[in-house]
Amino acid sequence: MNLIREIWQSIVRRDPLSTDKGKSELVFLNVWLHIHPAKVKKENLKFRHTFYLGFITFFLFLILLTTGIALMVYYRPYPPQAYQDMKDLQYVVFMGPFLRNMHRWAAHGMVICVFLHMCRVFYTSSYKKPRQFNWVIGVLLLLLTLGLSFTGYLLPWDQLAYWAITVGTNIGSYAPLVGGQVRELLLGGHSVGEAALLRFYVLHVAVLPSLMILLTIVHFWRVRKDGGLSRPIWKLNSKKIETLVTIGAPAEVAPLQVAAASKDKTYGLMEVVTGKPIFETVTPEEEEDTVFSYPYAFVREAVVLMATVTTIMAMSLFLNAPLEELANPAKTPNPAKAPWYFLGLQELVSHSALLGGVVAPALMVLALLAIPYLDRNTSRNLADRKLILWLFTIFVVANLALIVVGTFFRGPGWALVPPWVHVVAGAE
Amino acid sequence: MERRLQQLFFALSLLALALILAAGWQANTPSWKTYQRSFLQIEAQGEPNAVTKAAVLATPPEIRQVLLPGLQRVDRCTTCHLGVEDPTMKNASEPFRYHAELGPHVPSRFGCTICHGGQGLATDKEGAHGNVAFWPNPLLSKDYIRASCGRCHKEGDVPGVPELTEGRRLFETQGCRGCHKLNGVGGSIGPDLTGEGANRRSPDWLEHHFLDPNAVSTGSAMPNLHFTKEQARDLTYFMLALTNEEMGSYFSSVRLIPSPEYGRQLFVEKDCLACHAVGGAGAKTAPDLLGVTKRHSTEWLDEQLVNPELVYPGSSMPEYDLETNARKALVAFLATATPEDVQLILSKKTRTMTPEDVAIEAGKQDFARFGCVGCHGTELQGGVANPNAQGGEVPSLLHVSADYTKDEVIAIIRNGRVPPMDNAAGPAPPLYMPAWKHVLSDEDINRIADYLWSKQEKNKDAW
Repeated sequence: MNLIREIWQSIVRRDPLSTDKGKSELVFLNVWLHIHPAKVKKENLKFRHTFYLGFITFFLFLILLTTGIALMVYYRPYPPQAYQDMKDLQYVVFMGPFLRNMHRWAAHGMVICVFLHMCRVFYTSSYKKPRQFNWVIGVLLLLLTLGLSFTGYLLPWDQLAYWAITVGTNIGSYAPLVGGQVRELLLGGHSVGEAALLRFYVLHVAVLPSLMILLTIVHFWRVRKDGGLSRPIWKLNSKKIETLVTIGAPAEVAPLQVAAASKDKTYGLMEVVTGKPIFETVTPEEEEDTVFSYPYAFVREAVVLMATVTTIMAMSLFLNAPLEELANPAKTPNPAKAPWYFLGLQELVSHSALLGGVVAPALMVLALLAIPYLDRNTSRNLADRKLILWLFTIFVVANLALIVVGTFFRGPGWALVPPWVHVVAGAE
Repeated sequence: MERRLQQLFFALSLLALALILAAGWQANTPSWKTYQRSFLQIEAQGEPNAVTKAAVLATPPEIRQVLLPGLQRVDRCTTCHLGVEDPTMKNASEPFRYHAELGPHVPSRFGCTICHGGQGLATDKEGAHGNVAFWPNPLLSKDYIRASCGRCHKEGDVPGVPELTEGRRLFETQGCRGCHKLNGVGGSIGPDLTGEGANRRSPDWLEHHFLDPNAVSTGSAMPNLHFTKEQARDLTYFMLALTNEEMGSYFSSVRLIPSPEYGRQLFVEKDCLACHAVGGAGAKTAPDLLGVTKRHSTEWLDEQLVNPELVYPGSSMPEYDLETNARKALVAFLATATPEDVQLILSKKTRTMTPEDVAIEAGKQDFARFGCVGCHGTELQGGVANPNAQGGEVPSLLHVSADYTKDEVIAIIRNGRVPPMDNAAGPAPPLYMPAWKHVLSDEDINRIADYLWSKQEKNKDAW
């Protein structure tokens, strides 16, 4: 029994969880949990503050990683075997359809959740100082999510995949000067073929996931270092303007100073860096609002994790991922459509290739990246931000409207056809 | 609140577990396992003692598949159709029934879908029979399965499938190539038909299309050629066989079946009786062929057909550029040829042709083969509707010499011509004369002109 206790204590070195010290140590002695602070503000845990959208996105990414690795075992990235492997997943591999469905629905879910997460962060002003750069990382993660989804779209090598990628990469080629070359680099040729499939596969299973993991780590780390979650807007005290300092980024009010070094003393960081602490929790009154991360934050995250997993599983049990005919370069479907999240772009392109396909999306991405630096308004009160709220809302609604039009209202020849009208295509 | 959340967490975890179990159960109970169990029941009934019965019933379920790299497919049909190669199952009900009269086409070598269509990779009934979205070729109905013979046996006669031969003959004589390309040769007014059989057209659609193109394809430029029901069926067979698949060496080697019937056809076509005789019937210039297969070995005969001079230096027999199976067919015919049959062939050969006749006949054949007859008619009568062209139809060629010189006609054939419009503001007429200079040799074009002129003169006589 002593041995068992010794083994246990060698693994778990914290005090019992009944003590405050034990609760703290659970967090900061554990490599996986110490991304959390030992204590968090009660209000920040409220569902209606964040809707846990960041967590949901992250959990969807975990589902995608695990199901994706399992799918790799059954997949050969060259035509036409790639398509046959899809059929084998569907008909022969044990739980193959379930696996593929989970990957598909989690991927769509991630595109939606990462976008909603961005909206939440915008509306709660959580991109404002000192969190400006984390917003930029977030926008990059959004782009990576779209890139992962887009590269994965080609892999089944069916008609849907083939033509969606053909249309999608054509949109990219409208960029002046480099557009054509970028497309050629991506496809390894002038059209979607064997080389394109292999390149998309490498991007999808190696390059983009690695970048995603790296940037996700930075994103999480930054959340901690920027002072944890922003305060819910209903908790804002309009009189008090928060002045926050992050390590390495001196605030205007109190520049950082490095204490003179003494030869007979070792220093901890807290003794070297002066200035205000990085946490928003500074006053004793606010200290009373905090709770230990264990169990308050963890149980909520666990519930969100299981809710995400069960939702995706339930969808995968009843909804099958689409698989059309084998890719056929000679047979263009009419209309050929890009993946749904790019249909807004395709809709714009149908009006003007250069403006819609290059200028508008480039401006959109630049504007998103620059939001925290362009918005000089320091107030987080909704009442003080009317103009920018309107602008952002218009941006969101316009994007959604374009996607809806592109998805449901476009028929053969990209003609305006309402979804309730059935068009028989292919008459000669 | 915290307790509630913990309960919620456990409830959701249980739900996740239940969902995984449900997915596993769904994956573990495919319909093919049920079929395999019923098949084992039937097999076990035939076993005499309890031990072997139990052994049969204990056979673990497995997916069966035939890997066919030569046909670029994997057929899993025998996962459920377990009795196809078992003659004792000839009275069993589907899906276990024995497939009789397969000849050499055993499923273990040929699979099933190359003839029947359907989705070989699928392991459920709906998917395998191909009646699902996004699968281009569902099972062929009984009436059309024989069309699939033409997928491998692309040329010559296929025993038991006269429709294919007739369909091919119609295609080559009714002028289809005038508008449609097949294997690179033909016009470009209509769609290329090289892979038409893989184009997810249902046989019904094709057949209706041949009877009345506009009924199934509104606004089609294809004229109604007034085919009979049988001809429409023959052409449908021919279309269904045009799948243009890449095939392994074995499957492409049977392109031509070396049957004596086809050999007889070649014997007539190549006019062997111009020099040879069989049992005294025919010409005397070259050796009599009666019993030739007994006098010489198969290899000798084959060599003789490939390179006569090598066997008999100074032989005047021409080198016929025949492929292996065509030579085999000819030899097979010679082994069975009788003087009576050859007399029959001779009696059908009515008159000997002068060199001019031969040239005009060749022109007539070109006129048919390259599809001119599709629009201008087998008797040069024209008359195929061509809306908004002057006169509203394709012109007759019976009086062409009244309006043009021979050189002008040759120029029109070479360079093509867009018909003048009735109403200049209206839509362009759907049919036009394609340029043929890249398809036909000058020799062919001159022969066609000769043929046209031969018809003109006859008409002048008639006036």
